[in-house]
Amino acid sequence: MTFLFYIFAALAIVGGIGVVLNRNPVSSAFAMIVSFLGLAALYIQLDAYLVGTLQILVYAGAIMVLFLFIIMLLDIKSEEGRQFGVFSTAGAVVVAGGMLLIVAKVLKNFEAGEKALTPLKGAAAETTDVSAIGELLFTTYWFPVQVIGMLLLVATVGVVVLSKRELR
Amino acid sequence: MQQEFIPVLIQIVIATGFAVATLIASVLLGKRAKRNQMKDSAYECGMLPIGEGQARFSVKFYLVAMLFVLFDIEVVFLYPWAVSFKRLAVDGGQLVVFFSALSFIVILFVAYLYALRKGALEWKD
Amino acid sequence: MDTGLTLNHFLAVSGILFAIGLAGVLIRRNIIVIFMCLELMLSAANLTLVAFSRFNTGANGAPDYHGQVLLFFIITVAAAEVAVGLAIIVALFRARETTDVTQIASMKN
Repeated sequence: MTFLFYIFAALAIVGGIGVVLNRNPVSSAFAMIVSFLGLAALYIQLDAYLVGTLQILVYAGAIMVLFLFIIMLLDIKSEEGRQFGVFSTAGAVVVAGGMLLIVAKVLKNFEAGEKALTPLKGAAAETTDVSAIGELLFTTYWFPVQVIGMLLLVATVGVVVLSKRELR
Repeated sequence: MQQEFIPVLIQIVIATGFAVATLIASVLLGKRAKRNQMKDSAYECGMLPIGEGQARFSVKFYLVAMLFVLFDIEVVFLYPWAVSFKRLAVDGGQLVVFFSALSFIVILFVAYLYALRKGALEWKD
Repeated sequence: MDTGLTLNHFLAVSGILFAIGLAGVLIRRNIIVIFMCLELMLSAANLTLVAFSRFNTGANGAPDYHGQVLLFFIITVAAAEVAVGLAIIVALFRARETTDVTQIASMKN
């Protein structure tokens, strides 16, 4: 299964690079979908089946469709002229490179990270992650769920107010 | 359990392979025609093409799409609830499982009523 | 069955994705693509959560599902953020007819 990890990790990273480098926003959005599919496969490799499905359903299915809608709605052309400014590109390379260096340094000395991925056994393999997550969500975390409900309510109000020109 | 996903993997490989093979075959087998600007332009019943290929969408679509995303999340939360409800509430008798989901739905119902009253779901303008 | 994969593999992928998103936010000028890069960084953080949840096994060998519950909340917040953020971008486009961030820098000076 190791080679599958490398394939899907490469898919996620290549998709991410495609988002940054594509001149056309529509191509960027499709590269983003590729990246999310790779990530979902990585989640499934980590035995997080519900979360992997959610990544495809919500991120690749709903959120990216919304992005494509907005790109079509605003009729955005590809960026014209010189795409990347010299200063911003140099700054981005320095910042992202520094970030990568720090991550590499941290991971090098991170002994707990050497733990190998072993298959789930016994009782852990029997219970599905869906019921385990459902149990936590509606017992331990029942209050955060209500907060999330309020957040969605506020977001609905915000979307309607921002998009409707003449409110009744 | 991961072994159950092998058919999915096989399907991905076959689907990608078919698409790639078709593209390669059409390049190998097809005749090369000379390209020019007239041939590459869109065919609109012989007329000269008017306007852009991508039509702009109406704002109404995207308001509905945004509301869809928000209520999509509600279903995402209700799915693990439905899976674990019987085990938790019926066997364990924990009322919090029932009432927290109920109040979650009520909060989102208020959001739905708001969108309805403000006319966000009306189609004609 | 030893897969040869460790926690560090997943954390490295997450770090690389985050760096790509960071670079995209700094390089790109189209506000929608910047928004997409923000989502990419958020997803990179999600991968870290799932990886730690999987490797931090409890007494019965099951993954620590608290991390995946947190990921649920993050995905919800991301969806609400995208809906409201895109509504703001549309309102901005109606007022200024552009999505180029260098054109909207009127607060500068």
